[in-house]
Amino acid sequence: MTRVLGWLAVVALLAGLAVGFGVAPREVTQGNVQRIMYVHVPSVLVAYLAFAVVFVASVAYLARRAEAADRIAHASAEVGVLFTGITIATGSIWGKPTWGTWWTWDARLTSVAILFVMYLGYLLLRGMVEDRERGARYAAVLGIVAALNVPLVHFSVVWWRTLHQPPSLLKPGTPTIASAILAALLVNVLAHALLYAYFLAKRVRILRREQEASA
Amino acid sequence: MPDHWGYVLFAYGLAAVALFVYWRRLARREKELDRT
Amino acid sequence: MTYARRAWAVVWKDLLVERRSKETLNALFFFSLLLLFVFQFTLGPDRERLAAVLPGLLWLGFILSGLLGLGRTFLVERENDCWEGLLLAPGDKSAIYVGKLAGNLLLMLVVEAVLVAMFVVFFNVDVGGVWPGLALVIVLGTIGFAAVGTLFAAMTAQVRARELLFPVLLLPVQVPILLATVKATEAVLLGEPLAAVADWLKLLVAADLIYVVVGVLTFEFVLEG
Repeated sequence: MTRVLGWLAVVALLAGLAVGFGVAPREVTQGNVQRIMYVHVPSVLVAYLAFAVVFVASVAYLARRAEAADRIAHASAEVGVLFTGITIATGSIWGKPTWGTWWTWDARLTSVAILFVMYLGYLLLRGMVEDRERGARYAAVLGIVAALNVPLVHFSVVWWRTLHQPPSLLKPGTPTIASAILAALLVNVLAHALLYAYFLAKRVRILRREQEASA
Repeated sequence: MPDHWGYVLFAYGLAAVALFVYWRRLARREKELDRT
Repeated sequence: MTYARRAWAVVWKDLLVERRSKETLNALFFFSLLLLFVFQFTLGPDRERLAAVLPGLLWLGFILSGLLGLGRTFLVERENDCWEGLLLAPGDKSAIYVGKLAGNLLLMLVVEAVLVAMFVVFFNVDVGGVWPGLALVIVLGTIGFAAVGTLFAAMTAQVRARELLFPVLLLPVQVPILLATVKATEAVLLGEPLAAVADWLKLLVAADLIYVVVGVLTFEFVLEG
């Protein structure tokens, strides 16, 4: 089952590459560098999805005390951090030719970076609590706090950057997006979502087997 | 505007390496579990 | 005992301990003074430059002393072997959270008042006409900071490397509070009316509400064992 998911993800990613480089047109103002969007935007969407899953699984764990929910939260946070890292790296690489600098405190980059450190802390806490049951409870509480913090981070960072500074030069994903670009984006979002599901399933299975082995 | 293919390659390459390394780590750990 | 009386019992107990030992408050006052020295020495004596970064420095001082103070919230229980006592306390555990939060709020507000006074003296900050607005911003920011801080302090109290983990967990979560308070403090110190920072104040109120409610609802899971 997991294997099928993995192959599906691989096929979808290859299709995403084909559509992103073959079908989608060269963007008028930015040129071909805009094609970074097809890995940047899907990975940030999947990262948000992953952290939403952490939130739901954390609530479920505290309500039901099902270890399965705890494993899903743990695995999803790990995969989410991976995709957040990819988002920041690709965004930074995209920023260099378009903004002229590797890093700018652009509202979106900043809030994703805060997300990144927040969930890195989550994984750190997971690693530092020896007792498994206690670690699961603490992590669930942190998973809830972090998820509820996401909208606060978003608004504060957007206001921080726009109230006193001009908005960023470039907003990836402006509403007036060409339909071919949008289609390529959708294919890649699907591919990344499949990859996330595959990693999640694999990581959850490893966690379960590790816990069975140590029990 | 110039195309900056180098940056495109860099971005995709980095993402591919990150995903592949993570996948390898998972696969390795699973193999270890198979052995024990 | 009612909920409020149980929360009050926790506050009263901590106040008594603090009154007898005075260790936290004395150390925090001294630490604040040292911070002022550090700010002055690292930034140089140039008043113009200091004035530009003053709101940030003020909150840096609050955050650093807050990290030290809040991190110790549950150490009294650990050091004196009273953790079991907290666990065995009857009734709703969140009363303990409310009590600890109130105590921390009191502690931080006292330290912050002293820090502001020191800023007035050493950095020549004029708070004469703006102090009600400044106080409002500081109180709103401190509630959010202490609400999450108290929850995380309970979480890290039983973890190894807690003095490391506590700030690492708390600081990223506090970014919205930090941005809002620094911006609002900046505007207030410039003499702008509170209406000019209404957005930030609303954000602070929303953050405070969310953090306190989450803290009350999840604290029992932290204090289980």
